[in-house]
Amino acid sequence: MKGIAVTGLGCISALGGNVEENWAALSTGRSAIGHLQGFEETDLKVATAAQAKDFVPESHFQAAQLGLLDRHSQLALVAAREAVEDAGLSPEQLKPMAAVVGTGCGGKETDELTYQRLYRDGKPRVHPFTIPRGMPSAASSQVSMQLGIQGPCFTLASACASANHAIAQAVLMIRAGIVDAAIAGGADAPFTYGLLKSWEALRVLSPETCRPFSADRKGLVLGEGAGMVILESLEHAQARGAHIYAILSGIGMSADAAHITDPASEGAARAIQAALADARKDPGEIDYINAHGTGTLLNDPSETRAIHAVFGRDAERLLVSSTKSMHGHTLGAAGAIELIATVKALQEGVIPPTANFTAPGEGCDLNYVPNEPARVSCKSAMSNSFAFGGLNAVLVVDRFD
Amino acid sequence: MKRDIEQTLKESIARLKMLSVEEINLDSRLDELGISSLDSISLVFDIEDKYGVEVPNEALKKLQTVRDIVEGVERLLATQKA
Repeated sequence: MKGIAVTGLGCISALGGNVEENWAALSTGRSAIGHLQGFEETDLKVATAAQAKDFVPESHFQAAQLGLLDRHSQLALVAAREAVEDAGLSPEQLKPMAAVVGTGCGGKETDELTYQRLYRDGKPRVHPFTIPRGMPSAASSQVSMQLGIQGPCFTLASACASANHAIAQAVLMIRAGIVDAAIAGGADAPFTYGLLKSWEALRVLSPETCRPFSADRKGLVLGEGAGMVILESLEHAQARGAHIYAILSGIGMSADAAHITDPASEGAARAIQAALADARKDPGEIDYINAHGTGTLLNDPSETRAIHAVFGRDAERLLVSSTKSMHGHTLGAAGAIELIATVKALQEGVIPPTANFTAPGEGCDLNYVPNEPARVSCKSAMSNSFAFGGLNAVLVVDRFD
Repeated sequence: MKRDIEQTLKESIARLKMLSVEEINLDSRLDELGISSLDSISLVFDIEDKYGVEVPNEALKKLQTVRDIVEGVERLLATQKA
């Protein structure tokens, strides 16, 4: 038993509040990057963002619940509920499952409100929910509690690779026979003043839109959102007659062991290689790569080099696109949202483009599916996540016929 | 002042437990209102924040009814003024 069935998808991002809305935008190349809203009174230089503007917490949660839900937990729950409903899992089936939620930032909204009270407003006390609302594992606990999942549940953090590492961990638990099924993905809500200042200080944010692999790219654009997938052993999925979207056939993980922010293409290449080996595939069998493609000066040529290093002559016919050009960089949620985009691409035979593309950047010489979606029937695809700190995780999925 | 504290508390309970204020009276037992220990900490926080009092941990454990909280806060306010 190697292949793991993907049987449920759930997603919220700036592109929309569910998988259908996200795919409608992704499959037509519509970017949701716009002006940063909600910080007009501040000194922030950040100008653009991919915010989930249509998300109204009150229409998903009761007021009493919201007191305990940091925004990233809210997003995680919205995606998790959709994935569970999509997979048609009953309360009895949910009970023994695992839940692994990735996050890069955790409960930053809660932390910042707390510190504002103490340091800025000089208040003597903070809200008693501060710890349970803001702890890094809050979203995992909420997913477990609200869905009645009683198996192994935990949060996984590896910055921008968190969701891919979380999904890989769920795959490993299913393969090991610890659980038959799991929900895995990631969630992040990075739009808080202090966090935006911190990103600003790193000087990697684009002053305009996000243009992965383009010559005039100016950096990444932050996005918020969550993605969750239901994973099951193929036997388990077939025994309960589940609809199978795709087979998650390979996971590959590596670390650069080099620099805290600069990516090393050798590290990325090792993760890609490991994912192919795990899926028992030759490079020639991959048709599409959903790239990490952040739009930063350093990532895009480095990722391109990594792809060349592993794929050799096959790199020429590969389709490679970065959907971050549309939903922004959702950090700890990125891998999950992008896996969903990849699964949908296989299912629908439509490759989402790299939006906002102008002309290829130096060292960026692959087919990035610029601006227009490609109608191509693909059998296998790959989704890359390469995090700050050199933590890499790559997933391989196959169309299920 | 007592009525004010009572009203604040009832409104907090109503918000937290999704009840109407009319369903809550001074002799309502906190456990019967479905108030967990985390809930009661949160209710006390609302009052501490509004009235600038500090409810000690030992007092928290003894709270059983809405009246216990209202009268306890009143006593704290009186000591504060004295």
